[in-house]
Amino acid sequence: MKEVTLALVGNPNSGKTTVFNNLTKTHQYVGNWPGVTVEKKEGTCRYNDYHIKVVDLPGVYSLTAYSLDEIIARDFIVEKRPDVVVDIVDASNLERNLYLTVQLLEMGARLVVALNMMDEASERNLRIDVERLSSRLGVPVVPMVASRNRGTEELLKKVVEVGEKKDPVEPFKVDYGREIEDEIAALEKLISQSKVAEGYSPRWLAIKLLEGDEEITKKFAEVEVG
Amino acid sequence: MRIMPLSMARPGEEVLLVGIEAGFGLRRKLADMGLSPGVPLRVIHSQMPGPVIIEVRGSRLALGRGMTQRIMVRGE
Repeated sequence: MKEVTLALVGNPNSGKTTVFNNLTKTHQYVGNWPGVTVEKKEGTCRYNDYHIKVVDLPGVYSLTAYSLDEIIARDFIVEKRPDVVVDIVDASNLERNLYLTVQLLEMGARLVVALNMMDEASERNLRIDVERLSSRLGVPVVPMVASRNRGTEELLKKVVEVGEKKDPVEPFKVDYGREIEDEIAALEKLISQSKVAEGYSPRWLAIKLLEGDEEITKKFAEVEVG
Repeated sequence: MRIMPLSMARPGEEVLLVGIEAGFGLRRKLADMGLSPGVPLRVIHSQMPGPVIIEVRGSRLALGRGMTQRIMVRGE
């Protein structure tokens, strides 16, 4: 039996909990994130010869560090390094939802995009080119209707495929324009020489520092650069 | 065309967000929730006192009244 850890993330109301329930059925339990009162839901499921541990992260719009929910979601992805991160995306509301997707890609998470609520998208006459979306993002995209338990098998298939990959992820790059890119490059160079960078993408850290992200700035506070 | 704080827009009114008069933290937080300059908003509910409910980029958000006084919008 092979073990895979999967984290579920997504905007509020993207159907994360429904996907969680479809995956884990009755094999779930509720606890707390250490030190905080935010609920932590975990469950398990089996797929072929894989034993999959599923962690439901709080629903967030973004992975900045402004609220506890965001910090929990981000720390879990960055520090616990789940084998696979499944980003539940509301297909009827792609623009809003892809904002979080891009942040996850920038972090270098091993991502599978679950394109949920495909039924609502087609009711609104939205046609989504799933293959093209997948090739533009560089990650698998699985269309789903979680409320009717459609797409769960296909999602599990992609999850184990991605979970098997051991090579480092090439993080997705957003071009922020020359002025910002120059600063990112300069910071990246310094960061990759420091110990703080271990396990993180130096580019991601550089972007967070430029954003003035408190949590990441703290990490660097004790480090001497030079 | 008049520019006013979102708190003054009436229920049912469709407006464009023109700017947020706040520090980096709040501007960033609101941008994360889809409130960036140029985005169209629709006021669903706005009754004193209490929060303002708006529709933006296909979902509904409830904003504290104080916050809506710092969000500048352009009405009809």
